[in-house]
Amino acid sequence: MFTPYISLENTVNIMNNLTQTSSENTRTLSTFDMVQKSLPKRRAAEQRFRLFGLMSILLGLIVLLVLFADITRKGYTAFLQTQVRLDIYFDPAVLNPNNSPLDRSSLGKADYNALIKGALSATFPDVQIRREKNELNAVMSSGAAYELQARVLDDPGLIGKTQSLWLPASDDVDMFMKGNIDRNVEESGRRINNRQLGWLDYLTADNRIAKHFNKTFFTAGDSREPELAGIYGAITGSVLTLVGTFFLSFPIGIATALYLEEFAPVNKWTDLIEVNINNLAAVPSIVFGLLGLAMFINFFGLPRSTPVVGCLVLTLMTLPTIIIAARAALKSVPPSIREAALGMGASKLQTIFHHVLPLAMPGMLTGAIIGMSRALGETAPLLMIGMVAFIIDIPKNFIEPATVLPVQIFLWADSPERAFVERTSAAILVLLVFLISMNGLAVYLRKRYERRW
Amino acid sequence: MNSLQERDTTLTKAMNKAINLDSPHAIKIDRDYKQTVGRITSTHARIVCKNVHVYYGEKQAISDLSLEIGNHEVISFIGPSGCGKSTFLRTINRMNDTIAGCRVEGEITIDETNIYDKGLDVVPLRAKVGMVFQKPNPFPKSIYDNVAYGPKIHGLASDKTEFDAVVESSLRKAGLWEEVKDRLNEPGTGLSGGQQQRLCIARTIAINPEIILMDEPCSALDPIATAKIEQLIAELREHFTIVIVTHSMQQAARVSNRTAYFHLGRLVEVGETNDIFTNPKHPLTEDYITGRFG
Amino acid sequence: MSPSVLLLTLLALSFAGYQTGKRRSLKIAGGKISELHSLPSFYGLYASLWCLIPPLFIVVVWLSLESSWLANSVISGLPENLKVQSNSDRYVTLNDIKNVVSGTTLGTQTDPAILNAAEHYRDLQQISRGLLSVIAIALALAGIYFSSRRINKNHRARNAVERVMTGAMVLCSTIAIFTTIGIVSSVLFEAIQFFKSVPVTDFLFGLDWSPQTAMRADQVGSSGAFGAVPLFTGTLLVSLIAMIVAVPVGLMSAIYLSEFASPGFRAAAKPALEILAGIPTVVYGFFAALTVAPFVRDLGQQFGLTVSSESALAAGLVMGVMIIPFVSSLSDDVMNAVPQALRDGAYALGATQAETIRQVIFPAALPGIVGSILLAVSRAIGETMILVMAAGLAANLTFNPFEAVTTVTVQIVTLLVGDQEFDSPKTLAAFALGLVLFIVTLILNVYALHIVRKYREHYE
Repeated sequence: MFTPYISLENTVNIMNNLTQTSSENTRTLSTFDMVQKSLPKRRAAEQRFRLFGLMSILLGLIVLLVLFADITRKGYTAFLQTQVRLDIYFDPAVLNPNNSPLDRSSLGKADYNALIKGALSATFPDVQIRREKNELNAVMSSGAAYELQARVLDDPGLIGKTQSLWLPASDDVDMFMKGNIDRNVEESGRRINNRQLGWLDYLTADNRIAKHFNKTFFTAGDSREPELAGIYGAITGSVLTLVGTFFLSFPIGIATALYLEEFAPVNKWTDLIEVNINNLAAVPSIVFGLLGLAMFINFFGLPRSTPVVGCLVLTLMTLPTIIIAARAALKSVPPSIREAALGMGASKLQTIFHHVLPLAMPGMLTGAIIGMSRALGETAPLLMIGMVAFIIDIPKNFIEPATVLPVQIFLWADSPERAFVERTSAAILVLLVFLISMNGLAVYLRKRYERRW
Repeated sequence: MNSLQERDTTLTKAMNKAINLDSPHAIKIDRDYKQTVGRITSTHARIVCKNVHVYYGEKQAISDLSLEIGNHEVISFIGPSGCGKSTFLRTINRMNDTIAGCRVEGEITIDETNIYDKGLDVVPLRAKVGMVFQKPNPFPKSIYDNVAYGPKIHGLASDKTEFDAVVESSLRKAGLWEEVKDRLNEPGTGLSGGQQQRLCIARTIAINPEIILMDEPCSALDPIATAKIEQLIAELREHFTIVIVTHSMQQAARVSNRTAYFHLGRLVEVGETNDIFTNPKHPLTEDYITGRFG
Repeated sequence: MSPSVLLLTLLALSFAGYQTGKRRSLKIAGGKISELHSLPSFYGLYASLWCLIPPLFIVVVWLSLESSWLANSVISGLPENLKVQSNSDRYVTLNDIKNVVSGTTLGTQTDPAILNAAEHYRDLQQISRGLLSVIAIALALAGIYFSSRRINKNHRARNAVERVMTGAMVLCSTIAIFTTIGIVSSVLFEAIQFFKSVPVTDFLFGLDWSPQTAMRADQVGSSGAFGAVPLFTGTLLVSLIAMIVAVPVGLMSAIYLSEFASPGFRAAAKPALEILAGIPTVVYGFFAALTVAPFVRDLGQQFGLTVSSESALAAGLVMGVMIIPFVSSLSDDVMNAVPQALRDGAYALGATQAETIRQVIFPAALPGIVGSILLAVSRAIGETMILVMAAGLAANLTFNPFEAVTTVTVQIVTLLVGDQEFDSPKTLAAFALGLVLFIVTLILNVYALHIVRKYREHYE
């Protein structure tokens, strides 16, 4: 029963110690006693609440860790590629059947596959049946022939010689060697049959099969064959797109921020611009893709699948972020600096370009980098403008069809081959490295140049 | 009584000796624990502060402050801005815990319990030592919920009738009941400034604390609202020990039994309010109350 | 002259203009800069702007009109059998021609009509580019001449330059508005086309979605296949699951970080949590499809549940994780805006930290938190890649989180990717969906931003 103020005269006597409960006096309970009585329960509730908070954060962090661990676990193997050492005889009869003078075009068209087949049957002379031969040849990647071609074109003097070369194995062999294909599974359930298994065991015993650094992954464009696919094309596309986006969005973003922060009168019009910018920052990115498709491709007739359209779309998408960051940076420059410059007779533009802008620049750059890192990871709008095309060639300029790293990831993630899983993960790792270094740069800039006024 | 008076006079002498009369910076403490000056209203000192130092990071806000506050007395702290009187007030219920970098040295005991003891829980401390702030800060809830909040969290009432009773009696004590009894469910933020401050007082007394700290409770209010609050303080002194920080010397003179004068983080003089205002012993106090600075 | 060479030429000319203007001003002043109204460099800039802006304007307008003019004249020059075509065929033909022109299909394209047209196209383009170059360079030279004649001691070159720069800034700031107009018009225009063949009511209230049946252009009548309700419910279901994860976790994280955590923990955990928001959605999609979805399916099997391997649950969970930092950083800001006085009030009454947060700060911050959650919802609705990769394509009208559902964004992507025709109901439907998506997120955003702004003003 709550009895207000009855105990006032007694409190002095009752309240002897704040940390001890005095239970002797049950007749009139003071506030203090009642507080003490409920305190354990409240403290427990407090602890529970804290615990929920801590668990929430830990949950987030654990998911983050699991994500990174999962992708690393899936992807790190892609940086190695299984190769088979074959003793290749650069047979003049195959490479230069007519014994004509060597020229590049005829050498380029020669049947290098035959060299590999020859080397394989030399290693496994008992394989005679046509079907088994095909199975044997399937151990090697079709890229092995390209590599021989490149070597011969590089040095035609090789013809007639025998060399022991490490050549890429096919993706199934690669997967097997990386432990992704279980030999205990029934034969029909795996992509390596028993005969191939035997050959691989032989090669292993003979030290003819090993995993080496996967250079192809960093130097090749896309390919249907996982062991030949690389991210170089996608990275080039990403770089082109990002550079274009930066050079479009940064100046425009700064100009807009300057206008809104330093020049614009406060009226309905600037209000409208502001509402627009804030809203555009929250518009789903795929809508920008629709805009790009309908506007830039269909209406203006810009070429599909090209970095130039990607730049335009990503520019429109990142502008709000950049503008908002740039405005915050401008706001943080104290008005006294402007007044000092204006007081010396500098014009408004001189004030801004000589004093305000340099001080706000680190903040603006930070915002721009964050905008760029978002653009780098963006996929959906680029799907809309056709940057999902299967493109083998490395793009050389803004109007050649290209793809970008995240889209490449999306494409590979969709591919059925088991070997593309590790390549997708590896591409993700590369993308994350780029993103983390960009964000690290932004954090560094902010820390280095942050000024407190 | 005799012994108390005796103590006061000896202490006054000791203090006058201790304080260099020329310079405020030369205040020296000549012994470990300097008793306060002036008669404590009851025989029992409830709050005893010994050699308290308060720091904000590197900056010292209170130096070597010792003071006793008795039961059911109203003591006011006066002094120029930044003299540390609000800081000191906040140390009494550990509200300074909420300020990052704030550090308290020395000893403050309330009813013989050191409130800076490591194992002490601030919740019952603050339930016992209520506080009213400079700017009225009603919660964005209804008037009723504002007053009922304290009893609710402390479990002081269990059903609707008990809550109604405590809300009504608190609002009555705060002199607000007649004004708001028909709109208890309207938001507390919709009241006028003076009403909001009385609501905050009602909120504080609803948990039946024993000591109420008031941090310039009238500085944001107009004279009429101020008069009401002062009248309220006069009524509350029957039930509570009240420590009030004020900028207005008139207010200190009107509401308090004793007055303490703070200067640059030091307690310069404390005594019966009448004495302080009619016969200040320290030149700094005299300068302040005669309006030479502050 | 190709556009890039032309651009470089113009830049070089404008640099020459800068030097001309600067020298001329110095000559007029006789070396005494103080006699000039503006600094010599402003006269230089004045001349270079005159030399750059008019030709650039012409170039931009010319190039943006060129391609449609080229297309029209090339198409009109085609033989009759290729001329009478539907829009999509026309697009394909044009693409073939362009491919020949750019040389990507050199040797593989054998249709003589196309080759002829490509020849024609190339000729026309050459004429057009040549003409453009002549005009642009002439304009640039005229600009230098005109501006340097105007330079004299009292000419206010600085003011003129500043006017141009201000004008450029105003122009830039309107881009935001033009973007919105662009979005609305491009989506709306195509959506209206779509609603000509499929009534709005069928689209908004129809329960059956199977756009593939209308692949053939003459099958416009199969309008029952464009009922978007299953997409809306699918979107809602996935967003709901995401919010069930993100809102409590995000809020509690924000509360813990801002109220309980030690500065050290906060400094480490906050950026770590924000990494979650910086991970590209395609990565989440991969994670959802290859790790979470099988995990959820297997877990469901343990409890005897049949869980689709493209379940809404898996996609929603991953999306929720993605949105956690979004909710937490927004609500952190919002709760920090609650004045300290309210906290003090509660603490002074003896409220514990948890009580203060739950009963004082949280209710006070509620409008702002609701605003943040609405923004998060808008983001969930518009999220694409996770769903494209982890959610299904089948339009099931269900609220069972263990089944596969499809969403508005997934359908937009599926309908538009790899497809080059733009007037079949199938592709147009994507724009209609885009319109719905835009309107819904627009309303959410504007409303959420409005309440957050009101909330901030309330406590400022």
